Amino acid sequence: MQLTFMKLLIEFIISFVSTVGFGIITNVPRRSLLPGGITGAVAWTAYVILNNISGTLFMPNMVAAVIIGILGNLFAILYKVPVNMIYVPSLVSLVPGGIIYEAMRSFAQQHVNSTLEYLMSTLIVAMALTAGFFVSEWLFRAIRIRMRQLEIKERANK
Amino acid sequence: MLTDHEKDIMDVCGQVGAILLTSGAEIQRVEQTVEYIGRAAGLPLNCYVTVTAVFVSVNELAATMTFKTKLGGFNLQKVDEINQVSRLFTEKKIDFDTLKSRVSQIDKKVIDFNWPTKILGAGLVSVAPMFVFKATWGDLGLAFFIGIFGYLAAQFFGHHKVFPYLPELVGGFVIALLAIFTVKLGIGINSSQMIVSALMPLVPGVAITNSLREITSGELISGTLRAVDAILVAAAIGGGVLLATSIMIGIGNM
Repeated sequence: MQLTFMKLLIEFIISFVSTVGFGIITNVPRRSLLPGGITGAVAWTAYVILNNISGTLFMPNMVAAVIIGILGNLFAILYKVPVNMIYVPSLVSLVPGGIIYEAMRSFAQQHVNSTLEYLMSTLIVAMALTAGFFVSEWLFRAIRIRMRQLEIKERANK
Repeated sequence: MLTDHEKDIMDVCGQVGAILLTSGAEIQRVEQTVEYIGRAAGLPLNCYVTVTAVFVSVNELAATMTFKTKLGGFNLQKVDEINQVSRLFTEKKIDFDTLKSRVSQIDKKVIDFNWPTKILGAGLVSVAPMFVFKATWGDLGLAFFIGIFGYLAAQFFGHHKVFPYLPELVGGFVIALLAIFTVKLGIGINSSQMIVSALMPLVPGVAITNSLREITSGELISGTLRAVDAILVAAAIGGGVLLATSIMIGIGNM
C-alpha cells in the first residue's frame, strides 16, 4: 500500500477517535482522555508505517508499545494520572482482540489451520506489546532516577 | 485479639483492594496500595491478591480477612479516585475516619460518563483503525451503529448478571445478526469485516495483553486466570456470531 500524508492523517484521526472512545467506555478520568488519545494515535500511526515497510507483526507492535510506554509515562507526570489510565485506552487499536475472536470462531468451526494461525498471531502481538512495555519501562526508569536527582539538587539549592 | 480499630483498618483495606481489583487495576498496584494504607494507619499488614479474592493479613496478630470478588471489567475512574484518597491518607492529609467514609462513598457511587456519551464512545471504538482503507467507508459507517447496538445488548445483560459470558454472547449475536442483515438488504458489502470492526468494544484484547504483562511481571496465578477468562470471553463472542450466522443461513434457505 502506498502511504501518503493524507492517508496517515486519516489513520491518525481514526485511531485518536477510537482511543478516546475506548477511554469513555472504560470510564477513565476526564483529564486522561486527551493525552490517551494522542498516545494511541501516535503509536498506531507508527505501527502503520512500520507494518507497511516490514510486513511483519512483531517489530511494529513492539515499537508502538515502546512509544505508548514513553509517551504514557510523560503524560502521566504532566497530567498527574496513573500510567495505566493512558495505557489501557491507547492499546485498543493495537491489541489482538479481533484476532482472538477469529481464533475462537475458527475453533468452533473446527478449522484447525486457521485456528492455530490466529492463536499464533494473538500470542505474537501480545508478546510484542509486552516486550515493548519492558523496553519503555526500562528506559523510563533511567529518566525517572535522573529527574529525582535533579529534584533533590533543586531542593538543596533553595 | 484484634481490637475494633484494627479490625476496622483491615476491613477498609480489604474494601480498597476489592474495589481496585474489580475496577481493573493491576495486581501489583492493588497489593501496594493496600499495604501502604495499612502502614500509614499504623498496622503493618500483608496483602495477597488473586483475581477472585483479596486476602489481608496481619502476621503479628495471626489474623486474616478474605474478601471475595468477581472478575470485573474496567472502571478506571474508580481506580483513580481510590488512588487519590489513599495518597491523601498516606501523606496524612486526611484521617482514618475520612478515608473510611470516602472509600465506602466511592464503592457506592462514582462519576461515570452519561449514556449518550458512552453510546458515542462505543460507536467510535467500533470504527476500528485496522479496517481503514481495507473495508469500505460505508461498511465502517454501518459498523459504528452496529457496534452501538452490540454494546448496548451486552451492557443490558451484563447489568442483570444472570449467567457469566452471556453478555458477550448476546453482544456477538446482535452484531452478527445486524451485519448480515445489512448485507442482505444491500446496504453493507462485507459482513465479516463489519462484524470484527463492530466487536471492538466487546473483545478482550486489552485483557489478553494485560494478562501477559502480569505473567511476565511475576503474577503467575492472576495472569493465567485473566488469560483463561479472556479466551472464554472470545469464545462466547465467537459462539454468538456463529449462532447468528447459522440462523441467517437457515432463514436464507427457507
